[in-house]
Amino acid sequence: MHNQKDYELKLEVEMLIEKKPTTVSERILVLREKVLSTKPSVCTERAKFYTQIYQKNEDKPVIIKRALALEKTLKEMTIFIDDGELIVGNQSSKHRAAPVFPEYAVDWLPREMDELDKRPGDAFLITEEQKKELLEIAKWWKGKVLWDRGRALMSQELRDLQDSDIIKATGNLTSGDAHIAVDFYKILSVGLGGYLHEIKHYHQQVKRFEQEGVKKDHFYTALTVSIKAFQAFIRRYRELALSISKKEVNRKRKKELLLITDNCEIIAEKPPENFYQALQLTYFVQLVLQIESNGHSVSLGRMDQYLFPFYQNDKITGSISDDFASELLENMWIKLVSINKIRPWSHTRFSAGGPLYQNVTIGGQTTDGLDAVNDLSFLILDSVGKMKLTQPNLSVRFHKNINNNFMLECIRIIEKGFGMPSFNNDEIVIPGHIKIGVEPEDAYNYSAIGCIEIAVPGKWGYRCTGMSFLNLMRVLLASLYNGLDRQSGKVYKKGLGNFSGFNSFEDVFKAWQHQIKYYTRKTVEIDTAVDTALEENVPDILCSAFVDSCISRGKTIKEGGSKYDFISGLQVGIANLGNSLAAIKKLVFEEKKLSKEQLLSAIENNFEGKEGEKIRQLLLNFAPKYGNDDDYVDLLLRDAYMEFINELENYHTTRYNRGPIGCKYFAGTSSISANVPSGAVVPATPDGRKAFTPVAEGSSPSSGTDMLGPTAVFKSVSKLPTEKIMGGVLLNQKLSPAVIQKDSGKQKLISIIRTFFEDLKGWHVQYNIVSKETLLAAKKNPEKYRDLIVRIAGYSAFFTTLSPDTQDDIIARTEHSLNY
Amino acid sequence: MIFNIQRFSTHDGDGIRTVIFYKGCPLRCQWCSNPESQSFGYSVMYDKKKCNNFGDCIKAHNKAITRIINNGIQINRELINENEPEKLKNICASKALTISGESKSVDELLNEIEKDTLFYRDNGGVTLSGGEPLSQGDELKTLLQKLKGRNINVNIETSLHVNWSEVARCIGLVETFLIDLKHIDKDKLKSFTQGDAELVINNINKLTDSDAHVIVRIAVIPGFNHSEDEMKQMIEFVISLKNVNEIHFLPYHTYGVEKYKMLGIDYIFDHKKQVQDSELEPYIRYAQSKGLRTKIGG
Repeated sequence: MHNQKDYELKLEVEMLIEKKPTTVSERILVLREKVLSTKPSVCTERAKFYTQIYQKNEDKPVIIKRALALEKTLKEMTIFIDDGELIVGNQSSKHRAAPVFPEYAVDWLPREMDELDKRPGDAFLITEEQKKELLEIAKWWKGKVLWDRGRALMSQELRDLQDSDIIKATGNLTSGDAHIAVDFYKILSVGLGGYLHEIKHYHQQVKRFEQEGVKKDHFYTALTVSIKAFQAFIRRYRELALSISKKEVNRKRKKELLLITDNCEIIAEKPPENFYQALQLTYFVQLVLQIESNGHSVSLGRMDQYLFPFYQNDKITGSISDDFASELLENMWIKLVSINKIRPWSHTRFSAGGPLYQNVTIGGQTTDGLDAVNDLSFLILDSVGKMKLTQPNLSVRFHKNINNNFMLECIRIIEKGFGMPSFNNDEIVIPGHIKIGVEPEDAYNYSAIGCIEIAVPGKWGYRCTGMSFLNLMRVLLASLYNGLDRQSGKVYKKGLGNFSGFNSFEDVFKAWQHQIKYYTRKTVEIDTAVDTALEENVPDILCSAFVDSCISRGKTIKEGGSKYDFISGLQVGIANLGNSLAAIKKLVFEEKKLSKEQLLSAIENNFEGKEGEKIRQLLLNFAPKYGNDDDYVDLLLRDAYMEFINELENYHTTRYNRGPIGCKYFAGTSSISANVPSGAVVPATPDGRKAFTPVAEGSSPSSGTDMLGPTAVFKSVSKLPTEKIMGGVLLNQKLSPAVIQKDSGKQKLISIIRTFFEDLKGWHVQYNIVSKETLLAAKKNPEKYRDLIVRIAGYSAFFTTLSPDTQDDIIARTEHSLNY
Repeated sequence: MIFNIQRFSTHDGDGIRTVIFYKGCPLRCQWCSNPESQSFGYSVMYDKKKCNNFGDCIKAHNKAITRIINNGIQINRELINENEPEKLKNICASKALTISGESKSVDELLNEIEKDTLFYRDNGGVTLSGGEPLSQGDELKTLLQKLKGRNINVNIETSLHVNWSEVARCIGLVETFLIDLKHIDKDKLKSFTQGDAELVINNINKLTDSDAHVIVRIAVIPGFNHSEDEMKQMIEFVISLKNVNEIHFLPYHTYGVEKYKMLGIDYIFDHKKQVQDSELEPYIRYAQSKGLRTKIGG
C-alpha cells in the first residue's frame, strides 16, 4: 500500500533541513567531554594564599589585605593550558575544582569535609591531605570570618529567626554577594591599562587630611595592586603559551599557541583589537571576578552587543569566519562550566545542581528602541544550543518588535530540551525601571543577572536579588496560631489570636497582615546586618573597579560606589500562600465544608488517616488554585503579597544617602530550587500540601494544580503586582516535545509568549521541554544521562547531579500537552 | 449542555483557540474518543484510580452505588434517575466519581471564551465542538450572534448529521465549518454509527453551495474507512464539492479507552491498533494530487 521506509527517510531528511546539521569541531567535542567527565573536586591553593597574606598583614586595613591576597593568588596559583584550547584561563589547579574562600565561612568545612564526596547532589572529591590542610586553615580563621561577623552583628532575635529557617540568609554569609554584571563596554574600550590611568588620576586627588581620604587612599592602592595583579595573571598565560608552543610539534597548534601568546600580550595592557582578543579578555574578567569573590551569578551582560563591533569589524576585514567565531564561543561556554564553587550543604540545597548562573543576555533593544538582534545574537544562540551545557545561563530579552526568525530560532534551541534560552520582557522591565528613577539610556541597556533577575551592567550594585529568603508558609501558619511558630516552638511576634477563635476570613487576613509586617521588617534587619558585615569584612576590589562610579567616588560597591542600588530578597511559597488563603476562605468560611477544628487537626496530623486524607482531597479538589485564571485565588494572593510589598517600601539599603540612586528594596520570586529545602521545613499547609514536601517554585503554580494549560497560567501570573516584584517573577513551564515539533507549533508557542509579554506584561518565562519518561529513566540510570540538562526555576543544571528530592519535584510538575 | 471547555487548543482550527465541547451526539460512532459526549444528559463517571473509598457516594445513593469489598464501587447507572446526577456532583472529595455535563448559559460561555481573547490574536478564536454542537437548539444561535458582535472568530466542528435548518441559521455567523466526514457509504455508516449518510451528504452539498468556508476532516478508522478505495471515494467526493480546498486526516487513536471504563461502557472497538501518521501518506498524496491542501491531525 505504501512504502514505510521511504516515508521515514523523507521525514529524516526534512528534520535535518529543519534543524540544520550541528557541526562541532573535534577539539570542541574533546574539550566538552573532558569538562563533563571531570568530577568536581576541591582546590586549596587560594585558601592557602589568602591565609598566608592575612596572617602576615594583620595590621593592615582589610582592603589592602584582600588586594595583596588576590595578588599572591594570581601570581602563584597553578595555571595550565589544555591541549586544543583557544580560550585560556583557569580558576583553580584543576578543571571543576572549587577554590576555598576561608574568609567567608570556615566552620562548615571541618563539619562537612568527610561528607563532601557523599552528597546526594553536588559531590566533591577531596583528598586526606587537603582535609588536613583545610583543618589547619580553618583553625586560624575561627571567629574571624564573615559568617561570625554577620552573626555577631545580629540581635539574638535575628539569629533565632535565621536558625528557625523562617528567614534564611546563609548564602550571603557563607558565599558573599556577586549577582552582578560589570561594565564590559568600558573594559573592552579602555583596556586594563586604561583603568590604571583612571585610578592614578583619582588617587592623586585624595585628601589624606580627611578621614574619608584615608579610606580612599587605601581603596586606590588596593585597586592599583589588584589591576596590576590581574595584568600579571594574563601575562603568565602569555609565558605559558609561548613555552608550550616551543615544544609543540603540530604546526597548526603551534600557530594557535603563538596567537594566544600575542593575544595575552595585547590584552594585559591594551584594549583588544579583534573579536578573539575581546572574547579572551571577557573570559579573564569573568574568571578573576570569581577568584576574588565567592558569590555566584557573576554575569556577562549583553554579550551580543559589546562584542558585536569586534565581530563586525573582523567580518568586514575578512579576518574571521563564522565557524571560527562559533568555535571560540563554544570554547568559552566550556570554560564557563569548568569554573566551580563549593558551598555548605545548607546553602547548596537552595541552589541545586551547583551551576554558577553565569548569565549571558542577548537580543533586546538598542537605546533608540530598535531591535538589537544582530548576527552575533544568532551565533551566540546557536553555539549555546550546540554545546547543551549548564553554562552560560542564556537569557533573551524579548520586545514587541523582536525579529520573529530569531524567536523561531530560540524555540528551536528550547526544543533541544536543556531549558534555554529563557525570556525576559523589555515591555515591563524598561518602563518599570524608568519609573523608579533609572535613566532611560541605562534602562534600555539592562541585562539578566543569574537567572531572571535584572540589572544595568556596570552600573548596579550587588544582589539585584537573592538577599534573604522568606518562608511565606511559616508566616501564614504563625498567623493561624497566635504567632506561634510550631516548628521552633517559639512566638516571635505575638499574634491576633488563634484560628479557632477567628470569626471570619477578615480575621485570618488581619492576622496575616500583622505577622507579615513583622517578618518583612526582620528580613530587612537581617539584610542590614549581612550587608554591614560584607562591607566591612570582604570588600571586592576588582569588581568595584569595573562598576560605575566606584573609581570616581573612591568607594567600593558596598560603600555606595555604584550608580544604582536596588535589591531584593526572595519570597518562597507564593502559590501556596494564595491557595491556602483561598481554601480557608472558601471551604471554611463561605461553604462551611470544613470546620476550623477539622482543618487544624488535619494539618497538625499531616492529613494522616482516612478523615485526614478526605480533608486533603477536599482542599485539593474543591478550593480554587492559583494558575487557573481564577480571580478568587489570584486576587487574594495579590492582596496578601501586597502586604509584604507595602511594608517593604518603608526601608532602605545600607547605601542610602551614600551615593547610589535608589537604595530601595523590591519583592522577588526568583528562588531557584529553594522551594525544595524551604518546603522541607514547613509542616502540612491548608492548600493540601503534605508536611515537608516542596512548596511551589518561584511564581509558578503549585505542582499539578494548573489544570487549564499555559494561557490560564499566564493570566494568573499576570495578576501579580509585577511592577513591584522587580526582583523577578519567575515562571517555569514544562512543555512536551510534541508541542513544538512542527514549525506551526513553534509559531503557536511564540504567539502565546507574545500575548504574555506584550499584552499581559509578564516578566519572564522559560520552558522545560523534557518528557517524564526520560526523567524517570535518568533518575534510575544517571550514568546514561550524564549530559541531560533540566531547567529548575530560572537556571539549568545537570539532572543527574540533582538530589533525588529535586528530581522528584521536577518530574511531578504539570506537563502541558498541546497535542490533544 | 457542555462537558468541557478547553483553552489553548491548537488542533481545531487556526491559531490559539478555546474549544467548547457540547454534550450529546446523534451519531454515536463506535470508535468515539469522547464517549461522554454522546448522551444529551448527565453522565456518571468513575475513576477507580482516584477512589479512596470514603463512601460518600454510597451514602448519597445506596440503591445504585454499592461497595466492592475494599476495592472501590460498583454503579448501576440504570437506577440513577435523570436529575439525580446533579446531586452527586460534588459528593466525592477525591473526584473519583464525577458528573460529566454542565448547563452553561450563553453569558457564562462568553465569559469563559473571553478569558483567552488576548491569546487569539490574528487568527485564533473559539471552536464549538462536541458531541454535536448543531444539536444544541436555539441557544447556539444566540451565542454565535454575541460572538460575532464581539468580533471573535468562530469555527464549528460538526458531523452535519442534523436538520438543515440547524446548519442554515449558522451560516454567516461562522468563520469556518470543520466537517467531520465519517463515510459516504450509506450501509457502512449505518453499521458503525446511528447515522444516515444521505442526510449528511445533502447538508454538505447545501452548505458548500453557500459562501461558507468549509474544511473537511476525516478520522481515519481501521476497519471502517482506512482503505485506499474508500478513502479515494471520499476524497473524490470532497473534490466534487464547491469551494472546498482543504482536507484534514485525523489518525485513529485509543486515548478515549479509559473513559469507556469510567462510564461503565464496553468499548467494542477495542483491540484496533492506533493509526500512525505514516499510514496516511498515500491519502495525503492522493488528495494533494487533486489540488487539495492537506494536514495531519488538524
